[in-house]
Amino acid sequence: MTEPLSRRNFVKGVGAALAAGAAAPVLAACGSGSSGATATSGGKTTITFASAKFFAKSTIGQMVQLYNSSSKHVEVQYIELPTPSQSTQVHQQLVQSLSARDGSLDVFTGDIIWISEFAGAGWSAPLDSYFNASAKAAYFPGVIDACTYGGALHALPWYLDAGMLYYRKDLLQAAGIAVPTTWDELVTGAQKLLAAGKVSDGFNWQAKQAEVLVCDLVEFIGSNGGSVLAEDGKTVTIADPKAVEAVQFMADTFGKDKVTPRAVLSWDEEPSRMPFTGGQAAFLRNWSYVWSDAQDPTSSKVVDKVGVTTLPSFPGGKSTACLGGYQFGMNAASTKKSAAIDFLTWMSSPATQLRFATQLGLAPSRPSVYDQSALKAANPFMVSLRDVFTGGTPRPKTPKYSQVSLAIQAGVSAALATGNVQSNLSQVQSQIEQILG
Amino acid sequence: MNGGVRRLSFLIMIVAIVVWSLFPFLWQVITSFEPDADLAGSAPKWLPFPGGTLQHYRNVFVAKDFGPYIVNSVIVDVTATVVALVFAALAAYSIARLSLPGKGAVLGLVLVVSMFPQISIVTPLYQIMQRLHLLDTYQGLSGVYIGLTLPLMVYILWGHFRAIPVEIDEAAKIDGAGPLRSLWSVIIPVALPGVVPAVLLGFIASWNELMLALSFTTSPAHQTVPVGIANFTGLYNIPWGDMAAASVVVTVPLVVLVLIFQRRIVEGVTAGAVKA
Amino acid sequence: MTTTAKTRPGRSGGTESLPRGGRGDGSPRTGGHRGVAPRGKALLLVVPMLASLLAVSLYPVLRTIWLAFRNTSLEIQGDQFTGLANARHLAHDTIFAKAWRQTIEFTAVTTLAETLLGLAIALALARTFRGRGFVRAAVLVPWAIPTVVTSRMFSWLFDQNGLVNYVLVKLHLVSHAVNFLGSTSLALPTLMLADIWKTTPFMALLLLAGLQTISPTLAEAARIDGASAWRYFWRVRLPLLMPSLLVAALLRALDAFRVFDLPYVVTGGGPASSTETMSTYTYKTMFSGLELGYGSAMATAMFITEAIIAGVFALFIVRRLRQEG
Repeated sequence: MTEPLSRRNFVKGVGAALAAGAAAPVLAACGSGSSGATATSGGKTTITFASAKFFAKSTIGQMVQLYNSSSKHVEVQYIELPTPSQSTQVHQQLVQSLSARDGSLDVFTGDIIWISEFAGAGWSAPLDSYFNASAKAAYFPGVIDACTYGGALHALPWYLDAGMLYYRKDLLQAAGIAVPTTWDELVTGAQKLLAAGKVSDGFNWQAKQAEVLVCDLVEFIGSNGGSVLAEDGKTVTIADPKAVEAVQFMADTFGKDKVTPRAVLSWDEEPSRMPFTGGQAAFLRNWSYVWSDAQDPTSSKVVDKVGVTTLPSFPGGKSTACLGGYQFGMNAASTKKSAAIDFLTWMSSPATQLRFATQLGLAPSRPSVYDQSALKAANPFMVSLRDVFTGGTPRPKTPKYSQVSLAIQAGVSAALATGNVQSNLSQVQSQIEQILG
Repeated sequence: MNGGVRRLSFLIMIVAIVVWSLFPFLWQVITSFEPDADLAGSAPKWLPFPGGTLQHYRNVFVAKDFGPYIVNSVIVDVTATVVALVFAALAAYSIARLSLPGKGAVLGLVLVVSMFPQISIVTPLYQIMQRLHLLDTYQGLSGVYIGLTLPLMVYILWGHFRAIPVEIDEAAKIDGAGPLRSLWSVIIPVALPGVVPAVLLGFIASWNELMLALSFTTSPAHQTVPVGIANFTGLYNIPWGDMAAASVVVTVPLVVLVLIFQRRIVEGVTAGAVKA
Repeated sequence: MTTTAKTRPGRSGGTESLPRGGRGDGSPRTGGHRGVAPRGKALLLVVPMLASLLAVSLYPVLRTIWLAFRNTSLEIQGDQFTGLANARHLAHDTIFAKAWRQTIEFTAVTTLAETLLGLAIALALARTFRGRGFVRAAVLVPWAIPTVVTSRMFSWLFDQNGLVNYVLVKLHLVSHAVNFLGSTSLALPTLMLADIWKTTPFMALLLLAGLQTISPTLAEAARIDGASAWRYFWRVRLPLLMPSLLVAALLRALDAFRVFDLPYVVTGGGPASSTETMSTYTYKTMFSGLELGYGSAMATAMFITEAIIAGVFALFIVRRLRQEG
């Protein structure tokens, strides 16, 4: 069966290699076109890889090309999904393909929050047989935790991101304020700078009714020793005293403390970032991308005036950073698993992670890469992120995360907007309990 | 003096209308020429000079390679609009003029089918198109857009065909024209004030459509302008200057076309029909 | 066989009904004795349109209604007939009720405002004046700008650090920046304003076209009769325009009910779900939550509400049509 097909598939394979990153055949068409378990192209096994569209100095397509030219046995057809800023679309397209269970897609990248969902639905293949304990130990424990569901590894780490605290080191120094390690210190420092008229915004963060609200929430609650969902994945703890206290603090930032503008209720990453790099804000909680924006002389007014540190915590709590980033997954229905694993191993190797860091600005998920001098030379800031990632925590791990997240977004937004924290959180608790069943 | 006041208030009204309509767009034009540094400032820069730049336009056409998206949009949308116009004109003529059984039912069906939100239509349509291998093709997306713009066009054309005096039909019949001939050479020219908005609104509806285009096209070879613009934002950063440049590039030709199209045809023909 | 007096171009007809003649449903007077052929021909002309519509919409619509009675969810792989369980769930879903109310509010306000503003613009543009072509093209611009850009533009314009606040503060109309998008009371009205800006051209264009089909000789006749401009508008033009206006308003109302891009991109449905619309909630349920059954029930609820709205409009339209014929 493979013989008559091989020439056609060889041509297809070469064409695909040339066009990788540009026009790519559709998920379905390619699935139905190359029917059969062992489609080959001139001796190489062809697998399909779908990823959200990331770009910077280089693109994912170019990475795939690199692999294709260096691999003797595997040819990767790359399918470009929408950009990660349209994550719901990316999610939808992945789900459409995976739920069909036709093996037309072999490997993919997905947001860290979809891992439990795909695993629980049986769409992602367990990877423990391919990556043993020592292989897993080479990654940050937080991301391995996020990639694990039901005791099995369902995703291979790719890149990481986490929330961190940016601050105006020039203003803090001039006012004699120490870098805050607790939230109270941050509020005091911000109030001092506001009173002195140095800034118009004290502390910017994100409270738009969107996924980012859950990220910020997990950080505040976690830094008070609380959680949204307990370790068992079933007990809902979002209305417990520690969580309520944390959310009350969030509401107080624009309520009684007046360090945050009320507009935060409509802010996601960019609207909160712009006043900071425009010089109007003292503190900012945001992802790692802000650093390069802050250091860009063509658009930032705070070049070399910005410091970064881990987020503060409540007394008795530990600094918590919400982990983000896309990770690799393998389709449980894939018929070319060994080829897929070969590709994934390469993509997740230290050398490739270094390349992703320097070419695409994606922070590695392997601690060892941070020691490399090439990274230090290209992006010294990224090296300092290692500590942030070490303290990273995932968002609640449950197959119904999407529904849980929607309930949290609506409920916490209502809690913050109305100020009725306990009642709204209790409502969210019962909603989540209903969802989890 | 009364006339003077009236004329002045009319002028003020016209100016108000133009400012209200154009101001945000003019803001986009200015933004498209301002360098990133100015865009990041808290105080808006009202004029793009000194320091104006063409960098955003360069980004759009060279770095982001926006050209193919425009070509794709034009192909898909023009095809869809033309085909939808033909189908809608035939149907509207039949409903408005001929002895079609169950006119009300047909009109009602047209409306009913358009009432479901796009979200619920996307997934089943995706499955059909997948099976028919229409994903990521011009025909596939065009076909869907035809279905989407038909209800609007049918209703607009029906309204205008109804309003035409029956004498015109009869005059054409006396001249020996069958229904199709009279539709083409008589009814449509007279109903042009209605055909023009139908075409314009139908075209713009397809031109701006995002959700279905995102779901049904996967490669720059077939993706349309809205998808291209949506993909400007990689992860978080919104490139305001580039987006403004792209929106100017995409809107200005449309407006120029409308300018030419409307002025030349609409007034001329209506005046002619009335004289007849 | 003469019917009621009909106005013909060239003959003064005073305040006659819409120049039509024949029966009120649009069928020509002559044709009673033609038999099958004209009906067949009429049907044939409608076939391409019906075929396209049904091809694109029939299966999706039927599948949506089918799913509305099931608990299909891509996550749990369940797919059973559950009868009215989804409907019962909807009845207790407070956010659904909120979204429904807000969507109705949004639809009513924007449709009314766009109709009135559109009418004003159409009346102004119906007059001949120098530069009319330019103004017509300018009026279309808000509608022509890609929606992806408009939504982002408005989220920036009304941000705390955006242009609107800058101008308001500079002109001393407010003491400090107004929280438009982060306020549960102002967010929805801000979105309504954005929609009105964007969509008034749609109504203006349709109403202008409607105005242009009214024979100018009627204007002459009314002037000769000594009618004032206001009287002329109220007694002559508006009644003649009514059918077009009602149809345009109906189309606009149905579209407004399905509004998605603005609330989803600008506010995400918040804060505190104050800008959640039926479409955004259905989108989140189906695409994020992967609950196809429940989401389809929502889509069906949307459809039922739209059908009621259309029904109300249809009553008025049909009454108008009967009045003429």
